[in-house]
Amino acid sequence: MIKLYDYELSGNCYKVRLLLAILSIPYERIELDFYPGREHKSAWFLAINPLGQLPVIDDEGFILRDAQSILIYLASQYDAAGAWCPRSDPALLARISMWLGFAENLTVTAGAARLHDTMFYDGDVDALRIQANALFRVLDEHLWFAEAQGEPWLCGGHPTIADVACFPYVMLSEEGGIPRLPYPAIQRWTDRVKRIPGFTPMSGIFPAADAPAG
Amino acid sequence: MKLDQAPSAGRCYPVARTEELIPRRIAQVQLLGREIALWRSDDGAVHAWENRCPHRGVRLSLGTNTGTELRCRYHGWRFNGDGRCTFIPSHPTQKPASTLRVGIYSTAVHSGLVWVSLDPEIAATTFLVREDPHAVTLRSVFVAAPAAAIAKSLSHGYRISAAPEAAATAVAVFDDLTLAAPAAGRAPGVTFFLQPVDVMRTVIHGLVSPAPDAHERLAVLRHHNTQLSLLRDALERTAAAP
Repeated sequence: MIKLYDYELSGNCYKVRLLLAILSIPYERIELDFYPGREHKSAWFLAINPLGQLPVIDDEGFILRDAQSILIYLASQYDAAGAWCPRSDPALLARISMWLGFAENLTVTAGAARLHDTMFYDGDVDALRIQANALFRVLDEHLWFAEAQGEPWLCGGHPTIADVACFPYVMLSEEGGIPRLPYPAIQRWTDRVKRIPGFTPMSGIFPAADAPAG
Repeated sequence: MKLDQAPSAGRCYPVARTEELIPRRIAQVQLLGREIALWRSDDGAVHAWENRCPHRGVRLSLGTNTGTELRCRYHGWRFNGDGRCTFIPSHPTQKPASTLRVGIYSTAVHSGLVWVSLDPEIAATTFLVREDPHAVTLRSVFVAAPAAAIAKSLSHGYRISAAPEAAATAVAVFDDLTLAAPAAGRAPGVTFFLQPVDVMRTVIHGLVSPAPDAHERLAVLRHHNTQLSLLRDALERTAAAP
């Protein structure tokens, strides 16, 4: 069974749990004391990930770090339909990859502002918020015009790992002092993500109401 | 600190595009410093409420739209379409007091936008512009600048056409929050409605009429989004300058 080195309040760990839940993949959690214990910097964990970062998965001896890379692996290995990381269309694969890079930019801006506010990390939080808002503007505009062309997801008509990768640090932004009031297309998209079958919440991310029947 | 502003007597304001009214959803919007929970019930009625539960003040937009009621995320209190509390889970056998209710505003749907009157005495029914049911609503653009600065900037002229030779068109000022550039040649006209979010922030809503042909629709939407984004960036640079 897959082992996930995990921390409940990490958005990057959450995105892995979210895809595992959507794809109904069983897994075992190994919970680390990230804050305040800094267990991800302990000798035993550095032997698993020398970068000292979560999440990491261990799939029967195949050890993989980096949240975005883990999403690629899980979707490619366990999504038989190939819908979550389709590889047949080069342009689509490249667009997904672009948004995975965008997700990393969200982590180091909106995610870092949240670490500053909730776990007392150092950082120029005003600058982080300005950078995050600049990313949110790009995301909101992209989603609005995607919707206008009948595509409700970041990369086309079906949700992909791009949506899973970008969702957590957008949805947790208010814990870092970044309101989503100015971004209505982002708000509608986050509500759509919450209605993906198999969606699972985390602390600070509530489930959506059920869609009306029919 | 963002101060609440008093609404002008008897006026209603746009708060969102109608596309925000997705079934079983609660949108979070803001008008004149007041946060509003915006939702549509399954019977089609549009509700604009103070975005706070009268129990512990939690944002109702975090809660659940059941189709007939809003359910607060915190302690599960439920409120019907009139804003009255109908059920308190910790006192399931008691009928909630009639004084337990959410502050509600009058709403209307007009020109592809949801309008709100903050004055409980006045229904949101007065509109300066005649409705064109075929008009196309633009992407609304959020600007960190006061409505007056945006109106002033728009009144200097606006490019309604993406054609490279097209000059800026004169913009008619209907009132401090409503402006329009008339159609010219093949370019449809555009009407702007400004939503004062608070004293420092504004949403520019826009409506293109007559509706462009289907194959030109996206290009028209992109053109106006570019124009309004340029206007936003210029105003925000001015606001940020020492």
